[in-house]
Amino acid sequence: MIEELAVGDKRKKLIYAGQMHFVHWLIVLLSLVLTFSAWYYSKSQLAQKLEAKFQRNAEQVVDLVKERMGLYENALWGGVAFIDSVDTDITYTQWLAYSNSLTIDQTYPGINGIGIIYNIKPNQLDDYLKKQRLLRPNYALHPSHQENEYWPITYVEPAAPNKKAIGLDMAFETNRYSSIKKARDSGQAQLTAPITLVQDAKKTPGFLFYTPFYQKGLKPKNIEERRKSIVGVTYAPFIMKNLMQGTLAEKNRHVSIKISDAGDLLFDDHAEMNTSDFDSNPLFSKEINVGLYGRVWTFLIQSNMSFREEGTSNQSSFILVGGLIIDTLLLGLFLFLTRANRQALAYADEMTIALTEKTKHLEKSNNDLEQFSYIASHDLKSPLNAIKQLVSWIEEDCQDILPDDSKKHLNLLAQRSQRMMKLLNDLLDYSRINRDEFKHEQVNLKDLSQDILALLDNPNGMNLSAPDIEINIPQTPLEIVLRNLISNAIKHHDKDAGHIIISYDSNTEYHFIAIEDDGPGIAPEFHDKSMEMFQTLQSRDKVEGSGMGLAMIKRIVEHYQGSVSINSDGKRGTKITINWIKNTSSVAIKP
Amino acid sequence: MAKKPTDVTLLLVEDDDIDAMTIERSFLKQRIANPIVRAYDGIEALDLLRKGDVSRPLIVLLDLQMPRMGGIEFLKEIRADESLSDLVVFVLTTSKSEEDMLLSYRQHIAGYFVKGEAGEKFLDIVNVLDSYWKVVHLPG
Repeated sequence: MIEELAVGDKRKKLIYAGQMHFVHWLIVLLSLVLTFSAWYYSKSQLAQKLEAKFQRNAEQVVDLVKERMGLYENALWGGVAFIDSVDTDITYTQWLAYSNSLTIDQTYPGINGIGIIYNIKPNQLDDYLKKQRLLRPNYALHPSHQENEYWPITYVEPAAPNKKAIGLDMAFETNRYSSIKKARDSGQAQLTAPITLVQDAKKTPGFLFYTPFYQKGLKPKNIEERRKSIVGVTYAPFIMKNLMQGTLAEKNRHVSIKISDAGDLLFDDHAEMNTSDFDSNPLFSKEINVGLYGRVWTFLIQSNMSFREEGTSNQSSFILVGGLIIDTLLLGLFLFLTRANRQALAYADEMTIALTEKTKHLEKSNNDLEQFSYIASHDLKSPLNAIKQLVSWIEEDCQDILPDDSKKHLNLLAQRSQRMMKLLNDLLDYSRINRDEFKHEQVNLKDLSQDILALLDNPNGMNLSAPDIEINIPQTPLEIVLRNLISNAIKHHDKDAGHIIISYDSNTEYHFIAIEDDGPGIAPEFHDKSMEMFQTLQSRDKVEGSGMGLAMIKRIVEHYQGSVSINSDGKRGTKITINWIKNTSSVAIKP
Repeated sequence: MAKKPTDVTLLLVEDDDIDAMTIERSFLKQRIANPIVRAYDGIEALDLLRKGDVSRPLIVLLDLQMPRMGGIEFLKEIRADESLSDLVVFVLTTSKSEEDMLLSYRQHIAGYFVKGEAGEKFLDIVNVLDSYWKVVHLPG
């Protein structure tokens, strides 16, 4: 019953293990959540990193531009310092020397030139022109305008690319004029609003950068003084495109830049540069207003395609795809395991059914066989009895008329019938072993052996000794075993007198009963054969026997979960030991 | 209504001729002169009894394993039959089975003999029967 319960429990466990449960789904769900969180986290991390990078790039661009403008300012202030240090008016040659020493094209890439603009009042114009025409006879101011003063570009180096600018009067146009006045009034470096340089054939946006200088190298403290003592400005014209190339060309930028001044476009990467990296729908975009020398430049900085590529970097996709693959595998594993469990259970059930059927079948055929041998031996007995009977009647009735030979034959007939009867009886006993179940009882080994001996045909007067002890054992089976063994010992003895010694020993589990004789023994090669059915080691005419004695003993003992062993060298003596399991409550003997 | 023991008839219900002959030979050997009526199975025996072909007093010597109607069934029949329920029946069979013996005694048999393997045992049985009807008074 306990066993069945345990089997039931195990079955329940298997059935349980054969199904997907809440826990399985929970694990799959959690791992899905985990996957998506990891994916989301990695994506947002990446986005943050990208944004930080973009900010850095944007600031870098602005810083570079500011830094570069600072450099140009210095160059211009350098020009002012030079002019301040020379007491007399600067001659064209002097300025040429100064600008050459600056090596503009190398030191200040992006600058178009560096020059001087003087502030000329109408009454000074003739003097001024005269002085300039000494070295440059064709020098003239242009274009004409209505202002009451002149701010002509006097010198600009290098001269060749700026040829058109020489003599250009800054007062002719508002942007140029207002910024130069601001420079004069403030004493600070000033930029113009976006203009188109006259020397720029492509008419692209540009601007001018002014630094004012005053009489006698002074730095007047207020506007009135500044206006009174203004002499001119050093200036640099910029073509915006060149400036940006000079400033940023070497940088491998991941951003594109658009710079405007009060709505007027100064510079646009998209318009000017290779557009393959341009992102029409940028991931990041930033507007920075930078105050630069009296102007406010608006930097519109946008991320490029290269940002987008980095933004769609495979890292998070890998996390997502990898995670989903792992989740799928996990689900697959669960499904596989539960299916394997179900299959195992189905297989076990199938096997159980097959085994049960087989067992039933075996039990039935076993029963049939027992039934058959019982009935066969039983039914064979009655005709045999009849034959014996008839033989005895013939002997009785024809005593006087039968010849001696016939009497001998009748004797043999009776003898063979007797042998067959013995065989049938043994067969019947053998088939009955499993039919009846015997209880354990107290048996005196000595009494039992002596009783058996007394009932046996013992012509030679064999001597038997057995220990006078009580053992708890099923009496009838033991009796059959002992009778067969003692009978064998007597039957097979080759001398007139002999001894049979029964000894007993035991441990916690087994009785050990040994029957030892001093007969001819059984050769070791025949030990196994002697225990087979219908096997005799001698002619049945010499020693009467059915050949079932040892086979029956073996069957009985094994039925009681014991064993039989033969110990004999085949020369003298046989010791047969029976291991008979003890009656313990834990050992249930099934019929 | 005293009758002589020699008046007691033996109804031998036995399908085996040899067994029947053994009984007859034993009667001869023991010089028992009582009449023997032989039936081959339960049905024939019932017929004989009901027709009154077997004179009373009688003793039935009954085999258990027989064709058509076996011994146990025959016993049940006579015990259920008012006119036959008083019959004294001995069972003579090859069956040593406890079950057969128990079933037989439940039908109130007078004795259960197991057929021996040799003729001598039959002699004993015949002697018992002879002594039985010499001593025991049977219903008429």
